[in-house]
Amino acid sequence: MGELWRRISYLLNRRRLDAELESDMEFHREMAARAGQNNFGNTLRMREQSREAWGWTWLDRLLQDLNYGARILARSPGFTVLAVLILGIGIGVNVAAFSFFNMVALKLLPVRDAASIVRLERRSLDSYTSEMAYPSFAFYRDHARTLSASMAVLGIPPMQIDDDLQPFSASFVTPNFFTELGTPAAYGRLFTPSLDSSPSDPPSVVLSYGLWQHRFSGDPSIIGRTIHISKRPATVIGILPYDFASLGGSGPEIWMPMAQQPYFIQGSKVLTDWKDSSSRMWGRLAPGVTAKVAEQELRSLTHELRKQHPEAVWDENEYLQVTFGGHLQIMQPRMYQLAAMVGVLTLLILAVSCANLGGLMLARAVAREREIGIRIAIGAGRARILRQLFTESLMLASLGSAAGLGLGYVVMRVLLSFPNTPRWLSAFPDWRVMLFTIVITVLAAAFFGLAPALQIARQRQHKTIVRQILVAAQVAASCVLLIIAALLVRATQHVIYSDPGFGYEQLISIDPQLGRHGYSPEAARAYLQQMQTRLHAVPGITSVALVKLPPMGHIVSNSNVQINGRDVTLYPNWVEPGFFATMGIPLKTGRTFLPGEKHAVIVSESFARQQWPGQNPLGKQIGDTKDTVVGVAGDAHINALNDDDAAEQYWPAQADDMPGMVVVARAIGEPGSFAPAIKSISESLDPKALPEIRQIKLLYHENVSRLGMIATAVSAIGIVAVAMAGIGLIGLVAFTVSQRTKEIAIRIALGAKPIAVLSAVLRQFSWPVIIGLLLGTTAAALGSRLLRVVLYGVSNLDPIGYAAALLVLATIVAIAALLPARRALRLDVARTLHYD
Amino acid sequence: MPPGALPMLILRVLHSGSLHGYAIAQRIHVLSSEVLAVEEGLLYPTLQKMLLKGWVTADWGVSETNRKVRFYKLTSQGRAQLKAELAGYDRITQAIQDILRTA
Repeated sequence: MGELWRRISYLLNRRRLDAELESDMEFHREMAARAGQNNFGNTLRMREQSREAWGWTWLDRLLQDLNYGARILARSPGFTVLAVLILGIGIGVNVAAFSFFNMVALKLLPVRDAASIVRLERRSLDSYTSEMAYPSFAFYRDHARTLSASMAVLGIPPMQIDDDLQPFSASFVTPNFFTELGTPAAYGRLFTPSLDSSPSDPPSVVLSYGLWQHRFSGDPSIIGRTIHISKRPATVIGILPYDFASLGGSGPEIWMPMAQQPYFIQGSKVLTDWKDSSSRMWGRLAPGVTAKVAEQELRSLTHELRKQHPEAVWDENEYLQVTFGGHLQIMQPRMYQLAAMVGVLTLLILAVSCANLGGLMLARAVAREREIGIRIAIGAGRARILRQLFTESLMLASLGSAAGLGLGYVVMRVLLSFPNTPRWLSAFPDWRVMLFTIVITVLAAAFFGLAPALQIARQRQHKTIVRQILVAAQVAASCVLLIIAALLVRATQHVIYSDPGFGYEQLISIDPQLGRHGYSPEAARAYLQQMQTRLHAVPGITSVALVKLPPMGHIVSNSNVQINGRDVTLYPNWVEPGFFATMGIPLKTGRTFLPGEKHAVIVSESFARQQWPGQNPLGKQIGDTKDTVVGVAGDAHINALNDDDAAEQYWPAQADDMPGMVVVARAIGEPGSFAPAIKSISESLDPKALPEIRQIKLLYHENVSRLGMIATAVSAIGIVAVAMAGIGLIGLVAFTVSQRTKEIAIRIALGAKPIAVLSAVLRQFSWPVIIGLLLGTTAAALGSRLLRVVLYGVSNLDPIGYAAALLVLATIVAIAALLPARRALRLDVARTLHYD
Repeated sequence: MPPGALPMLILRVLHSGSLHGYAIAQRIHVLSSEVLAVEEGLLYPTLQKMLLKGWVTADWGVSETNRKVRFYKLTSQGRAQLKAELAGYDRITQAIQDILRTA
């Protein structure tokens, strides 16, 4: 330790110490001269050697290099600005992507002990849901020893405040929810177990900060006042803080205590029904317990639960999956796959920009040949030159990454300006983003700076092989980016211009949520019957039917199976006979269900084709109960627009399904204009049930526009990459031409044809371009398999997409190569040959 | 001179009192009956290393020619180091001599 301190004090006092050393050595000389000894050593060199013992020479050299590098960069501002721009884009895209990933999956929520929060979800071999029945939650909560606390959130359809037209999102939570998260109230108080655990406590609500600001104009006197939540009076007890961090993304606007759910939703049996999976469960791992251990204990609890309440558990394979819940997003394996893919794409952009800059540096190297030559001649070692050049690269990379950080910040600001973004999120880079940027900067500097530096230090500036590799790398990387962009654009077009298999434009779904309101199957049947009759009477509504899982609904049920070696995702659904006509799904063969029919099934065309290729599917039997196929419907991925591997099975809805059924109606004219009529029908049928009315067209467009946005972003990135590659190529070809002017002039003087001249100039680039195109296409073909899920049925080997991408790339490359090459043809032969 | 011997010699020479750089070189030269000559280019880097290690310290003094110059002085750490090096050196030379005699 003492030595380190002395070393540091030497650094701080080096001026004085150097003077002392100098005086020592001078004295030595004087004395030696007196004694008649002559010493011809270089005093400066010896002093430097002595100073080396202090161990700070590297710092001196670094400062020298930085100083020199800064002068060099300042002397060619054009190159420096271009380089910083190229790098800024390459690094900025990566920083932005990582910042987003960091925000979603790495940053801990600003709640008490976020690291111990877990999400618990029901899983079995072929089914999963993130929601469980409230009694099951209570069972796990009361018996699990590996969880120190358990919270539940019950999401419900939007609720009405007083007589507002616009409803607000709402949830019920267990009273320990806010205390466990350590959330302070902005005003009033939040729920606490001691005051809000019992159904007999006075009905109370907590409002989000945003709702309080907009609906109640931020008036603090709202605390203690009574408001009506969907007609039920309740007291406002508190306001959530502005930057409240909820679990699993953004929270609702209205919060109510779980115990009072039956009060707010009249007739609901959610709190006692073992079959109504509707509560999300969160837990806090007990100190020292890992997720694995908790999963073990919960697995045995599930077995116990199955013995006591068989209806609450699917099968013997069910268990609770314990995942880390302290982040903004609960990451599923599929999301990691997507994140990895995005990461690869952004790194490709960095690769293009680095290869590009590498080419520029090489061209500059020739210009600096004389300077480097002089430095080597006066005794600079190869290592020293290399270090100098690498320092310059690092300086450039640092400037570039500063620009990149700025770009990343801007991107994050834009993302965070979207509505419904939690307020606690910040666009400002945290230490992880900083660390990532530093690593990326060093990697980039190594990638674009090392090859040119090696060539320069070895005085081999004129070698073409490195240049060729750089060209191939750029072309390959931009090729991958362009192909993927083309595929996404094709997918968007496909979704917009192709038929999704059902007539979505004129559809309305009406979800009265009868099950949540405690309807028995008989009561539900009566309600739905009336609803259908009344809807039929509304002018403009042409057809009405019942379905359990409506298009783009809140609940999606599927299972993955293998049919004849192919992965297929099965989407089962339960429908009434009129469903196909109402939805506009054609029946290809067979018939629809008969009223009250049992043990019958209708399958989608692609399911029939895969399951029984070349056979008549009618009369075949499937499922555990050996149900007979009575019809084949057209493919309509109503709950999996983007999944080309989806196949549907429709079963006739039975009496027990009635409380969970949703009404779909087909209307002539603007579907939105029917909302008031539908509302008044439901009011008169049962004022307690407030159905959720949705226009399928809007949901569909929302789905498609999201894809369109992704396609636009990727295309923009792809075009930027190609433009960068083009600019890089222009530079390299122009440089080659300028290097070989004399040779070209001789060729022209001897009568070479323009084509021969051009090919002489461009030959060294044609192979790298072809190799780059081949590599890029292969990589895209292999890598794009991961994209299948977002391609909405477009093949990942879609020939049109590939052709378009390759055509655009080839055109840009050709222009970039020919533009500067033409200069070779316009040479003033006489002057070139007279020159020196 | 074998590598690593110089610090030991310097430590030994300084054991009897503080000296300036030139005097250290002179003393080694004289004591070795003019066999060992310590060059400037070796002496001062070695002294810097020893200062860093904390074996010696340097203080201003006045030379016999009336010039302000730094005198190097052994520290307690330096004394311990000298002891250790001498012991090590004795063992090695003993071993080498054993081999030379008997092999």
